[in-house]
Amino acid sequence: MPVRPPQREGDVLSASDAADAPAGHPHSPPPRGVGARLPRKEDDRFLAGKGRYVGDIRLAGMVELAFLRSPVAHGILRAAHKPVGAQDAVFLAEDLAGVHGIRADSGLPGFQSSVQPILASDRVRHVGELIAAAIADTRAAAEDLAEAVAIDIDPLPALHDMTRARDAGAPILHEGWTENAFLETRIETGLEAAIEGAAAVVKRTYRTARQCMAPIEGRGCVAVWDGNLEMLILYSATQMPHIVRSGLAECLGLEEGQVRVVAPDVGGGFGYKGILLAEEVCASALALKLGRPVRWLEDRREHLVAGANCREHAYEITGYAAADGELLAVDCAALVDSGAYSAYPFSACLEAAQVTSILPGPYTMRGYRCSAVSVATNKPPILPYRGVARTGVCFAMELVMDALAAELGLPPEAIRARNLVPPEAMPFTNITNKYFDSGDYPQALRRAVEALDLDSLRAAAPKEGPKRRGVGLAIFCEQGAHGTSVYHGWGIPMVPGFEQATARLTPDGGLELRVGVHSHGQGLETTLAQIAHETLGIDPARVKLVHGDTALTPYSTGTWGSRCGVMAGGAVAAACTTLAERVKRIAAHLLQADPADVEIGDGLARAGSASVRLADVAYTFYRAPQNLPADVDRRGLEASEGYRTVKDTGTFSYACHAVSVEVDIETGDIALLDYVIVEDAGTMINPMIVDGQVYGGAVQGIGTALFEEMRYDGAGQPLASTLADYHLPVAADIPPIRIIHMATPSPLSRFGQKGIGESGAIGPPAAIANAVNDALRPLGARVASLPMTPEAVRAALAAAGAEAGA
Amino acid sequence: MSTAITLDINGRTVAGEAEPRTHLADFLREELLLTGTHLGCEQGVCGACTVFVDGRPVRACLTLAHACDGQSVRTVEGFDDDALMARLRDAFKTHHGLQCGFCTPGMLATAYDIVRRLPQADTARIRRELSGNLCRCTGYHGIVAAIEAVLAEGPPPAALVPTAHRSRMPREAPADVPAPERTAAVADGPASVLKPFAAYPAADALTGEATLARSITIDAPCEAVWAMVENPKTIAAAIPGAHLDALGEDGTLRGHLEVALGPMRARFAGVGAMRLDPAGRQGELRGEGQDRLSRTGLAAALAFTLAPREDGGTQLSFTATYALNGPLAQFGRPALVAAAADRILEEAIASIARRARGEEAAPAPRRLGGFALLVGIVRDAFARALRGRRP
Amino acid sequence: MKPAPFAYRPATSLADAQRALAADADAKLSAGNQSLGPMLNLRLARPGALIDIAGLAELRAVTDSGGAVRIGAGFTHAEIEDGEAPDPTLGWLRAAAGAIAHRAVRNRGTLGGSLAHADPAADWVIVMAGLGANLVLAGTNGERVVPADAFVTGPFETVLRADEMIVAVEIAKPSPGARWGYWKYTRQVGEFAKASATVLDDPAAGRQRCALGALGGAPVVLADGAGLIEGRVDPDGAVRAALAGRVADPQLHVVALRRALAAAKQAEAAQ
Repeated sequence: MPVRPPQREGDVLSASDAADAPAGHPHSPPPRGVGARLPRKEDDRFLAGKGRYVGDIRLAGMVELAFLRSPVAHGILRAAHKPVGAQDAVFLAEDLAGVHGIRADSGLPGFQSSVQPILASDRVRHVGELIAAAIADTRAAAEDLAEAVAIDIDPLPALHDMTRARDAGAPILHEGWTENAFLETRIETGLEAAIEGAAAVVKRTYRTARQCMAPIEGRGCVAVWDGNLEMLILYSATQMPHIVRSGLAECLGLEEGQVRVVAPDVGGGFGYKGILLAEEVCASALALKLGRPVRWLEDRREHLVAGANCREHAYEITGYAAADGELLAVDCAALVDSGAYSAYPFSACLEAAQVTSILPGPYTMRGYRCSAVSVATNKPPILPYRGVARTGVCFAMELVMDALAAELGLPPEAIRARNLVPPEAMPFTNITNKYFDSGDYPQALRRAVEALDLDSLRAAAPKEGPKRRGVGLAIFCEQGAHGTSVYHGWGIPMVPGFEQATARLTPDGGLELRVGVHSHGQGLETTLAQIAHETLGIDPARVKLVHGDTALTPYSTGTWGSRCGVMAGGAVAAACTTLAERVKRIAAHLLQADPADVEIGDGLARAGSASVRLADVAYTFYRAPQNLPADVDRRGLEASEGYRTVKDTGTFSYACHAVSVEVDIETGDIALLDYVIVEDAGTMINPMIVDGQVYGGAVQGIGTALFEEMRYDGAGQPLASTLADYHLPVAADIPPIRIIHMATPSPLSRFGQKGIGESGAIGPPAAIANAVNDALRPLGARVASLPMTPEAVRAALAAAGAEAGA
Repeated sequence: MSTAITLDINGRTVAGEAEPRTHLADFLREELLLTGTHLGCEQGVCGACTVFVDGRPVRACLTLAHACDGQSVRTVEGFDDDALMARLRDAFKTHHGLQCGFCTPGMLATAYDIVRRLPQADTARIRRELSGNLCRCTGYHGIVAAIEAVLAEGPPPAALVPTAHRSRMPREAPADVPAPERTAAVADGPASVLKPFAAYPAADALTGEATLARSITIDAPCEAVWAMVENPKTIAAAIPGAHLDALGEDGTLRGHLEVALGPMRARFAGVGAMRLDPAGRQGELRGEGQDRLSRTGLAAALAFTLAPREDGGTQLSFTATYALNGPLAQFGRPALVAAAADRILEEAIASIARRARGEEAAPAPRRLGGFALLVGIVRDAFARALRGRRP
Repeated sequence: MKPAPFAYRPATSLADAQRALAADADAKLSAGNQSLGPMLNLRLARPGALIDIAGLAELRAVTDSGGAVRIGAGFTHAEIEDGEAPDPTLGWLRAAAGAIAHRAVRNRGTLGGSLAHADPAADWVIVMAGLGANLVLAGTNGERVVPADAFVTGPFETVLRADEMIVAVEIAKPSPGARWGYWKYTRQVGEFAKASATVLDDPAAGRQRCALGALGGAPVVLADGAGLIEGRVDPDGAVRAALAGRVADPQLHVVALRRALAAAKQAEAAQ
């Protein structure tokens, strides 16, 4: 229990008050629009235990589904035998004839494609892969059946380590492949010229661990065939209902009009709930086959064993710098363990392809080379986890920056300050053609250094004894809400275009917003209502967000990539603006005023001293049309608009993390003493929610840094199957995190807001590792892989001791 | 088979039916449709299912519904008129102590308990007490702030307090609840095919392996010890829980191994073969098997060498290499593995030594903690440690 | 995951529980179900029947014999933590109880259940061994008393016979001024200890004990407790000697003993 944070007063230095909404009329209620710290509309039902998650859904005649999963990582499935007397309750691949496997190809040249079977028929490629499905009235009875299935598997050697998966003689994972890689991507520009005469060259090997995203609610679904509508309805814990619909229709051979996907309340996503699952396809196929509702709820064991699917990178990276600290070039070869299949829709190569394009981070440099391989192994297919590739590249890049600083005898903050893109250069196109929209990166660094009080901490660090202290920095930028121009090049099944929203005034003057994104903790029911308030003047309490249902909402790629605040926010603003014009015209008629003189706000349409309520306008349109002007807009009080940013290259939020740690060199324990985050989300729609995203993300990043790891043995067996083995951060592990906001508007988005949802999770591994290495430097030890467990720290110290003794 | 239980749920007497294996959370959710109690792990770790039983917060996933017969249960749905819970809810909302809402009912239960039990709790204590409830969204910041705020304001007294322990004397005719019948018989697996020795993986081909090595001195001549170890029956008799079911002329064999580690049990049925080198006084036994229900696979290679000692005794060196796959391989308690593996190996060698010395064969070894050996995921440190102890 | 099927039998008395246990080799006792529960849910444990002894009044008896106190095995960790069960030590049991797992687990998990489960990393296994406590075991043939440091024989293995159960723990009252140090290494609150150590310094009673736990099997009482406590014996050497051949890397256990010794010393300073 060493990570015991000291108590602190006033640990939030939020600039939220300054960011409150523009003042309204003198006697108007407290701000409720963009910038207001509005309590969340969705909280009441959750606090009452009345949220409705997929596991809460029970339908008449419903059966529970349990799976028999592969116990081995790689093998030939010779046979599977159903339990005696359960021929109609257990299903094998042969029972799902006509159902297609999941395929998510990339259009990039050289991509090797895979097909993920719904139920394995001839070969299994990771532990936890589905082999048989069993149904019963209760989950327990379904598990009784599943465990009674007999299987005969001839094990094959497993690809358990990506660094060896392409060795000569390694078994090839998919038929027709030439090597165990989905794709290799590469960027090179000006490397040779840039490194000439470098004063410092550091070459390092870094690794990040495979993780489970571990939302507290697992995946799950209820599939039911509605004979009346001739439609399959899939209730699913998903972040991306429209994408799931397309993928599901393809697998089942249905028209999309025959598939409706409903995402009810979802208990956290983080990317895990952004893909199409074989389990969902299987449950749907069985619902079609049986004519009964079928429910599958992922349990924790299934999640850990079959869902360890993110973050595992390996880097060979070399940094080159001039004597004055100028970063000359970075040369890197990266591997990403993409697992056994290409998952729908992001594909197996998104993560690795991002590595090559975002490794340079917020820095300028003269030369750059990076290759990244999406390696295929006998592990679950990789998915983009909060921060996607950024957490890994930030770890690699920021550790190299510290290594260069040490080599040159510069403080870590000095080498960063020397190389950050300066504010006067904004907007800036970096070496990989990323378009940084706005910001003051050096200021973020300065403020973090000051807030943590780096110099005092350094001076006070004990030089002896079992408890050593260190400080560490990490600075990065995060592309979010990027669109077509970025994604179409990857040729994956999902390319975001215009984001749609529908705004509809109800006859009683309320507002329905329909959006295709989904809210599962991000607070969109509140922030989108704030945007409606900002643009339509309506009380946020009167705004109802309809989301998570393909039958009720416009198409959207869904919630991912820190995009909802920017994209859905922009779309809602556009729809509400259109609606406002129509309201004004009707109001002008009712007020006998010129439409140009009508203003709306606080639930009223005003012309001079006269006003009508929005409710009056709505009532008139729907229920007293005789009072409408002759030229009323016949499209009525419902407006759908599409939106995209001024340029679709994405908003770039950024942050500097600064941390102070104490390392117990006897136990290897790392305690976080203080943690500062200076971040810039542009204009904040709701600063409380921005803070919440940053706190939550940072703690996930701390999990990546210190705790979370799914290890595999040489046979590809995952070595954790409970939360007692796979450690998530708990409250006592976390120091009081201090957040300092900068608020540089993005020139690209509707209100200047930037995507911020993932940012918190990016910096902690790098900042903490730099701090640990700062503490260990006098002892000659350093860490280079994640997580930094006590065992890893002790091993690093032992290695340093052995080296010193040699 | 489901039988009736009667509980007080949120102030109402509720009669329902539950199988013995049904935990309280499933009973609440599936039978009573009180779905505010969430399941996040069913492993007793995440705390999402925390509810009050007799006024005390408990894990509903580790509490059998039948064990609550006659007791009083309070769930998140049962606090409508509770001033302290109302205050906590307000504070959670004000301090953004929830995002997706899934951990929230359990968090509120724990928060309620902290506030009423530890009115002086400081931030560090609050964080420690909260550590049995996982939240993946908030980073705990808003939750801690909410509890701090409620404590600082001087919270209203808790209406729900623990009731004194009641010795739960069962009603007049204690109801034994039989286990339900299985709905279907376990399918016959493919019969394991006897294979020649060379068809089994050798020790160095076992991936994910643990290697254990021992060498002991036996106070008996080499010939006597050899007579023991060349016979698969003797070896099987020496290994706790091992049973030889069939023995072929060519050294092929079929058998099973029952192992236990505390309440955990496994029965590995398998096949193997033995190869002997009488001249070199060495031999090797290889085999593979599966525990049908847990679907854990086991492959093993055991090599032994005898050497005569000057004192007339024998040096027996014994190396066992195991590889496991499936559920029993997927755990993380290496120290347990090491200890249990030591025990089973020690027992086997001691048994061989006793027999070689002509002592009365020990009673058939009970199932011993070999399970851990099998659980033996074989962490590197463990394998290294034991290899390092080879004499 | 849900448990495999089992039968459930709430015991009406100690004798009833013992009879049921003796009659069914496939039955398991269950008090709080906090250690067994996860194994049931994962289907790693598949008992044919659970005999529920949580309600037995006999397991909540307390007897003070002057020099020692017998505490019924049925008290929960939380009751010990809160002082609702007697603590014959100087608050040491309460402190140890409060560090077991999490409060919701402590509210159902019991003293006897934890000991009988014999997880080598469990708090009561090392604390009772360190205190030199005795366990009272009862079977169909009556009671016997075994020292706590001889109770656990391996991981999840004890000297309990098939029909026996722990009915009480007998703890000697320390002399006034006796000191105690307990230190366990857990990285996170509530997780299994990776190393643990206790120091009991009660020279007036002639009891100076140092014990190590979380060794993967039985705890170890070090040979020269007095020498360690009085600084005449090097903890590093003592731990390494005691654990030779048992533990791959004794480093953490050395740290545990040093810190338990320091905790006991600090306890003196605080008095």
